[in-house]
Amino acid sequence: MKYKSQAVAYYFFAVCMLLLALQIVYGFIMGFAHLGFDGLHEWIPFNAARAVHTNLLVMWMLSGFMGAAYYIIPEECERELVSTKLALLQLGAFVAVGVTAVIGFHFNWWEGRKFLEIPRPLDYLVVVDVLLFIYLIGRTVWQAKRHTTTSIVLFFGLLCAALLYIPGMIDTSSQTMDSYWRWWVVHLWVEGVWELIMGAILSYLLIKLTGVDREIIEKWLYVIVGFTFLSGILGTGHHYYFIGTPKYWLWIGGAFSALEPLAFLGMAIYAIAMAKRGGRSHPNKTALSWTIGCSILSFVGAGFLGFAHTLPQVNLWTHGTLVTAMHGHMAFWGAYAMIILAIITYSVPAMTGRKLHDSGMNIFAFWTSNIGMICMTLAFAVAGISQVYLERKMGMDFLSVQKEIEVHFLGLILAASLFTLGIGAFIWNFIRYGLPHAEAQGSDSYKN
Amino acid sequence: MLSKSSAKLFFLVGTGLCVGTFLLLTIDTIRRVPEQTNQQNLSESAIRGKHLWETNNCMGCHTILGEGAYYAPELTKVYERRGPKFIAAMLKDPYAMYPGQRKMVRYDFSDSDIQDLTAFMKWIGEMDLNGFPPKPNIGQIATIEGVGAGTGVAQTIDRPIAFNQMCIVCHKLRGQGGDVGPALDGVGSRLDRDYIVRWLHDPQAVKPGTLMPKLPLSEEEIVELSAFLSQLKEDAK
Repeated sequence: MKYKSQAVAYYFFAVCMLLLALQIVYGFIMGFAHLGFDGLHEWIPFNAARAVHTNLLVMWMLSGFMGAAYYIIPEECERELVSTKLALLQLGAFVAVGVTAVIGFHFNWWEGRKFLEIPRPLDYLVVVDVLLFIYLIGRTVWQAKRHTTTSIVLFFGLLCAALLYIPGMIDTSSQTMDSYWRWWVVHLWVEGVWELIMGAILSYLLIKLTGVDREIIEKWLYVIVGFTFLSGILGTGHHYYFIGTPKYWLWIGGAFSALEPLAFLGMAIYAIAMAKRGGRSHPNKTALSWTIGCSILSFVGAGFLGFAHTLPQVNLWTHGTLVTAMHGHMAFWGAYAMIILAIITYSVPAMTGRKLHDSGMNIFAFWTSNIGMICMTLAFAVAGISQVYLERKMGMDFLSVQKEIEVHFLGLILAASLFTLGIGAFIWNFIRYGLPHAEAQGSDSYKN
Repeated sequence: MLSKSSAKLFFLVGTGLCVGTFLLLTIDTIRRVPEQTNQQNLSESAIRGKHLWETNNCMGCHTILGEGAYYAPELTKVYERRGPKFIAAMLKDPYAMYPGQRKMVRYDFSDSDIQDLTAFMKWIGEMDLNGFPPKPNIGQIATIEGVGAGTGVAQTIDRPIAFNQMCIVCHKLRGQGGDVGPALDGVGSRLDRDYIVRWLHDPQAVKPGTLMPKLPLSEEEIVELSAFLSQLKEDAK
């Protein structure tokens, strides 16, 4: 860690760990409800558990991106952050809004729009908070002498993510237009600007971990984010097949979203090629595992499994079934969860000065959580495909189908337990690092 | 070999073109949506229904237009499938309608809330959704019309609408329907018409403790249903 202010990232990552743990708890509540064990129904009905599960996901990912930005930007810009006090204030406000929202969900206080359940008054606070974040990062970048592609792409991605929150607040009485704008936020985030953030973090990690020349890595970063937008922006059309929007979206959405795997495939090839090319054998091997793992599983989850049900002919049958949950879990895990866990694994040893990155526990965490998530995806896949055939293709009653596929939720819970074991180990290892240490500052902590 | 500046150019031009196209298509979509979704029929009541739909996070369990969670049924065509009476009964007391099954939150909606939600569902169901939801296309149980033909026993009365909208929710007939109550094949051999009439009026009065709820049926519907059910004889499989 070169700059003192980078250490502020630690607190954002600590929030990530806490929210991730909570997210898993709510996931289990839903898994058990699917199995018929809905004893918590009176206090945490399924819709509350679901809103908490997905919103905690979004919150810990945003917290992770913010932490990553606070860690990466000073190093890329070769200067301290303009203010660490404001950064901590910004984190505190973010957590306060998030906690209020999550508690509100339990008391039927929400907007009830998938992924954007946070009630309107809190939306405005989110905007203010994110503006403060953008200001802190933007001002640091602005005042810097050095402007690297990585820092520009990261800043641009964060700025667009902030701006794209706004279409979600457009008021309309039409369910179709409501959905139309909602996807501007959700889709253009996860299949658009979040990929820029992910690409920039990936590029930073590859520069550090592989030692390949920055110019080469950053050149390919442009190509990959170019492909992301080329496919992802018009690929939004795959959400506009069946919601009351014109038929031409079937062609446009189908054609462009069929290209989306290319961006992820490019990312995977890029990460693997750079890792092979790099002569430096970096001491933090686990961070490299997460980085390469991220590029591969994001291709499998977001690219391949997304493609599996994105064509309109297929989506006509799978739309609104558990097939979406199958794709969703591995896409978010592979693309975004793993990149955040990669930057945490890379940066926390540097911030705390304790070299626990290649500990047995951390290696166990990597393999167990990944195998667990792959098994969860398989369980969702079998449940989802069965649902499509029994309910959609054969016209069986909804609840009868749910009983037929119940056994796959038992599989899901077993896989999720394995996953939780892995995440538990990761969090335990995170705790073992302790707090950021002043002595860790000013040195390249990986040179021993 | 590709240089960094041409890679940057590829990114900027590609992104610019896509953003431009996307914005133009959005303008066109905004122009066309009112016609495709029959916006002229979007009543004040339906708009209030949408508000209720959102403030109670119905999407947190159900899907509508295929969007939402996968814990409870798809509701896009629920107005056509179940009819306003069933919807009203379900919203009034969800626990009673699916005894012992997956639970829906009891929201204590007022009668006007229920009307608003029903109006919203009706509006949603009439949209042109480019073919969604598709009709089942595999297997024997796929069509209601196909069943009953060629069974050797003349089926003298067609299924009443109330049967297809309500009874079938919990009971199976010839393999189609829910699993909550017993199948109704051959019910006419087991129960006579008078009993069925009394049963449909108030199941609790006939057999205290039964899980079957009292359904909002009119006299006319009870006459139709009892006539239909009492002719479902044992050998009619």
